[in-house]
Amino acid sequence: MPRIAGIDIPEKKKIRYAMRYIYGIGPKASDDILSEAEVDGDRRAHELTDQEVSQIATIIDGAYIVEGALRRQVQQHIQRLREIRCYRGDRHRRGLPVRGQRTKCNARTRKGRKKTVAGKKGVKGH
Amino acid sequence: MSRSLKKGPYVDEKLFRKVQRLSDQNRRIPIKTWARACTIVPEFVGHTFQVHNGRHFIDVFCTEDMVGHKLGEFSLTRLFRGHTNKKEGVKMRR
Repeated sequence: MPRIAGIDIPEKKKIRYAMRYIYGIGPKASDDILSEAEVDGDRRAHELTDQEVSQIATIIDGAYIVEGALRRQVQQHIQRLREIRCYRGDRHRRGLPVRGQRTKCNARTRKGRKKTVAGKKGVKGH
Repeated sequence: MSRSLKKGPYVDEKLFRKVQRLSDQNRRIPIKTWARACTIVPEFVGHTFQVHNGRHFIDVFCTEDMVGHKLGEFSLTRLFRGHTNKKEGVKMRR
């Protein structure tokens, strides 16, 4: 089983798709890397030679930020927004949507599971 | 959608001139402004602005980290004091 970028072990899928299991590698980056490494993206991940795998790994190491490092980078950006106390940082701090979405209803991804409030809307008693 | 690169960042002319004038004189006094849409450029670092939020002027001290943001991002326009308490039934004001 090929190992690329640390612990990621993409499986029997075509390498073009298998690489997308790495955090930070999407459709575009995947195809870019494969064309640079001159590997046919339609071949299965396990069919690749060790040399091809290591070549892909080198490209990723050199030009891409993936996995832990990328996660850390994202966190740092958020941290920065929080520290300069700007509007976006404030929204992150409060766990509300950051990009101007409505919060009257929905926004559940940011706000978490809904908390029922007595007396609001159709809840009995009103 | 982001602003066209061709135009460069939006910086309020008048405000920018004022900042430059103060910098030349090596003075750092708070500048009152309504130019919330003005981008913070490196020249602003170290200056204090009093950015209008529709009601008051909020002190904003520009640091290096803030470059590229707009002045208005640091002067909130809404005040949320929490939801109504059901028992008291009255929204707490001010």
